[in-house]
Amino acid sequence: MHIHPLERRWIYVVLAVIGIFLLAIFYTAIARNIHPPSHIETIDSASLHLSEEFAEDKLGVWTQPDGTIKVTLVAARYGFYPREIQLPAGTQVTFRIASADVLHGIHIPMTNMGTMVVPGYVSEITTTFPKPGEYPMLCNEYCGLGHDHMWSKVTVVAKESWPAAPNAQPVRR
Amino acid sequence: MKKGYVFAWIVLVAANGQISAEPSTQVAWTPETLRFVKNGDAERGKELAQACEACHAATPENAESEFPYLQGQSATYLYKQLHDYKSGSRSNEIMVGISAGLSDQDMADVSAWYSRQPLPPAKKADEVPDTIRKLVDRGDGTRIVAPCAVCHGSAGQGQTMDTPVLAAQKAAYLEQTMLAYKSEARRNDIYRRMRLIVQQLNDEEIRQLARYYAGLER
Ligand SMILES: [Cu+2]
Repeated sequence: MHIHPLERRWIYVVLAVIGIFLLAIFYTAIARNIHPPSHIETIDSASLHLSEEFAEDKLGVWTQPDGTIKVTLVAARYGFYPREIQLPAGTQVTFRIASADVLHGIHIPMTNMGTMVVPGYVSEITTTFPKPGEYPMLCNEYCGLGHDHMWSKVTVVAKESWPAAPNAQPVRR
Repeated sequence: MKKGYVFAWIVLVAANGQISAEPSTQVAWTPETLRFVKNGDAERGKELAQACEACHAATPENAESEFPYLQGQSATYLYKQLHDYKSGSRSNEIMVGISAGLSDQDMADVSAWYSRQPLPPAKKADEVPDTIRKLVDRGDGTRIVAPCAVCHGSAGQGQTMDTPVLAAQKAAYLEQTMLAYKSEARRNDIYRRMRLIVQQLNDEEIRQLARYYAGLER
């Protein structure tokens, strides 16, 4: 097969660039011990619905005793469950997310909420939403034919209109 | 006084959703369960299935009955339904009684046999509206409804584990099943996935989708 010399030169350049990227990844992973943040807590994705934390009636938004918010979410082809959630603005929110099947990503545009959801692991991310409004919550890792339909609705309401949490019990909303 | 406290506690707890509901199914598709179902003995299943055939056979006499066809359905789906009837995750007067007498091995064997049978002949539907074809192929973003085809396949052939084959099923059964999900009479879909979709559809869409899938042949 004939390859034009100029083309061949560019193929070498591209291969070298890929090589540099791979080296950088392996170097940080092996020598510096830097891994994706979600690779800490493990969970069995196949029996997620039978687990304590990700049981169907435990999903959703919970107000913690200290006034912060915890959101328990499941990512599964093709949606995030629950499908719609409401959150207060200007309040610390901790998401705990698990996948019931394959690799997903989670991302709320215009905010810094975004992480990978790796099957077998719990992803945790803490953030604060400064602005009230309606946001989509999207999957940004290709997960199958319905990937582009995988999104849910997040409504961030002003802190004043968020009902105060009763003292002790975590409140489900 | 004490009684009052207990009552208040119950009300509070109930309001906070702390009373845990049963999971939608006890079946988890762990590698062991998948292997167990995959290794079902179809020969033995054939004998067991003689009892099922009275209602489920793909014969002209059964065409108008309310009972679904099982031929060509995926083994994992069938296994899960039988298991769900037995564990109480899915209700049906007849099937709960029958499944009570089946062991896990019986379920795997019967499922293996049915999954190896050819699909019954499809009941060709005359034209379904374009809006229905659109729901099947493109979904509806305004209602957060994914296309049916992304999970159930472009030919209604279903997908591994618990996404059933829809092609050539009885239209009446498909319609009744979707309506049962819509009214929450049926609740054995993990994370309410099917209920959330069907609850976005109106009854006419459900009727037409059922006709569409009944008319597909694989
Ligand atoms: Cu996804």
